[in-house]
Amino acid sequence: MSSLNASLAIALSGLDAEQGAMAATTNNVANANTPGYSREVPILASSDPVVVDPLTFGTGVTLQSVESIRDPILESRIQQETQTQGQLGSLVSALQQTQVNFTGKTGDIGSAITSFFDSINQLSTNPSDLSLRQGVLTAASNLATAFNSTANNLTVQDQSLDQSVIQSVGQINTLTQQIAQLNGQISDLENVGEDAGSFIDQRTQAIDQLSSLVDVSVIPSDNTLTLTTANGTPLVTGQQSFQLQTQTSASGLHGVYSQGNDITSSIVSGQLGGEIAARDRQIPAIQTQVDTLAAGLANAVNTVQTGGFDLNGNTGADLFTLPPAGGTGAAAGLSVAINNPALIAASSDGTVGSNGNAEAMYALNSQPLISGQSPTDYYSGIVFNVGNATANATAEQNASSLVLQQLNDQRSTISGVSLDEEAANLVQYQQAYSASAQVITAINDMMYAVINMTTLTG
Amino acid sequence: MRVNPNPYPDLLAAVNQTQLQIDIDEQQITTGLSVNVPSDNPAAAAVLVQNADQTSQADQFQRSIGGIQGEIQNADAALNSVTAALQQAISLGVEGANGTVNTSDRAALVTQVQGIQSQLLNLANLSYQGNYVFAGTATQTAPYALDPSSSSGVSYQGNSGTNSVTLGNHFALQTNLPGSQLFSASGNDMFQSIQDLITSLESGTGIGTAVTEVSNSLNYVDGQRVFYGNALNQLTAQQTYLSSETTELAQQQNTVGGADLTTVISNLTNSQTSLQATLEAVGQTARIDLFDYLK
Repeated sequence: MSSLNASLAIALSGLDAEQGAMAATTNNVANANTPGYSREVPILASSDPVVVDPLTFGTGVTLQSVESIRDPILESRIQQETQTQGQLGSLVSALQQTQVNFTGKTGDIGSAITSFFDSINQLSTNPSDLSLRQGVLTAASNLATAFNSTANNLTVQDQSLDQSVIQSVGQINTLTQQIAQLNGQISDLENVGEDAGSFIDQRTQAIDQLSSLVDVSVIPSDNTLTLTTANGTPLVTGQQSFQLQTQTSASGLHGVYSQGNDITSSIVSGQLGGEIAARDRQIPAIQTQVDTLAAGLANAVNTVQTGGFDLNGNTGADLFTLPPAGGTGAAAGLSVAINNPALIAASSDGTVGSNGNAEAMYALNSQPLISGQSPTDYYSGIVFNVGNATANATAEQNASSLVLQQLNDQRSTISGVSLDEEAANLVQYQQAYSASAQVITAINDMMYAVINMTTLTG
Repeated sequence: MRVNPNPYPDLLAAVNQTQLQIDIDEQQITTGLSVNVPSDNPAAAAVLVQNADQTSQADQFQRSIGGIQGEIQNADAALNSVTAALQQAISLGVEGANGTVNTSDRAALVTQVQGIQSQLLNLANLSYQGNYVFAGTATQTAPYALDPSSSSGVSYQGNSGTNSVTLGNHFALQTNLPGSQLFSASGNDMFQSIQDLITSLESGTGIGTAVTEVSNSLNYVDGQRVFYGNALNQLTAQQTYLSSETTELAQQQNTVGGADLTTVISNLTNSQTSLQATLEAVGQTARIDLFDYLK
């Protein structure tokens, strides 16, 4: 059976559905520039028909749902690449600060080593000359200062990275709290069968941000998800977030703890991973090399110095303060132990004019003192290591940026709002809406005709 | 197929990339260096550290040569005066040996030879920049002092030490000869021969033998003087070598770490053009969409 009222209801369903579709389009247009927003598509379906034997009548249209268009696999690839990007970002920035200490400019360790040996060569030409002896003391003091300031710069950098670690952990905690809260809102909506698209977008965005900070594994479950670090430390389970803590460790730097467990060394990705890698591995490795050089050089110079005779004919005393056994802290603590130029042991036999010991000291310049290398060769090795680490990390960062850019392009291709598309949709929905309205006008006319007909006969 | 509706992040990344390249190029042009931080080229940075070390060493060797040259030139000049003085002593001895010379003439000759003796003493006690050049390594004490108890009239206060100074990679030069080897070597004692000449002139006997003795001393000192001549030659040769080494090191430094300005400037121009093009592309694609046509 068909009636004018039924037709009116069908036309009305058209108006409702097109309005709903229009709302989705309007929301898309409004969010065209919202980061992480996935475009929404209205899902229209024809209503269940009514069968009046032998005829079947349609009953109009329903807006089944508004669906956000996204690719979960792609989202997870973006999160992974964001972790790599975050890690390389903080590592590169740390290494770039480190390598400034090794640029070969005047005052760096390399030029100070060269100047020190140059001053000894000059002394060798006139070993009893006090001004040349003073020249050696000054060069030795400059050498000690170069070691001190490089070691100090590296320590300061380590400490500022330590502060960054604390800040990153704070940001991670804020984000995991947000995500836990969003998990709750999403499951509330989805449990009553509603679309939680915009909350999911917010959560995806928050997970992206979290990925730039730390390595995150996402384990989706019904209506919610669980986040852990790569080694399985829980960050978020459903509506519960787990805070990370920082605690001062024996080294004076802060370790990252989760529920009492030290997870510092297991964090390898994200900005926090990069900060930890630079703070605990890269910079200490450079520190160790600088210490090895300082200790090796100071010990060798002292050995020669104590094997010769000063201007007064006495056995030489140490030129440099004794480096600590094992060398740790040698560069930071290096200083010149004598301040009287007459005490430089240039003589090999106790006579004032002998330069034998100055020559022996000068010869250290080309001897394999440190790990089988001359001081300058060992130093140039440090420069290579620092430069190479920085160059490699920068190259990886560039490559990762390109990958991330392509992934984001892909994401935008799938989920991004196209204003052309939305304009076309708008026209389409508008026309359908107008058409339904026209149908209602027509039905109105027909109703009018029917009512008038009744009046005439009655 | 759906296309990416938002090309702006890509365009922006391209602009950033080009801007970064421009910064790098500009830095190379301002510094003239292609390696400004180690990561620019780690291997080159390591080579440059060694290059700077070797360059500075070569400069230092040049300075050291300059210092030593003065001393050796002075020593050589002093020895030249020594041989001239000995020559004069021989002439005086030959004159004294002539049978026609009487006692008072010989006394005058003795006075002259004594003058030469004190001149030789001064020359042997030559000091340069506060150091006694012929004292071995006891450079703060005059090597020869008058000593009436000694048969030669003087005694040697110095030692037999010699110094060598490193003036190049694998090149060290001995810079002095001690007086004990030059002037008072056993069997070739210059002061002894002069003293003998004085004694023979005073006594009038054995003058011929004494003259031969002085003549032997002259030959001996002249022979020793070759050491200083050789040293000066070696210093000059080493100076030449070091300046060519410095040139080579400068060339290496330029090859390894210098900016190739022609290429860099042409890159910079390209980058600027490309930046301009990208920016224009951004400008032109700016928000043309269907909405503009639905009026």
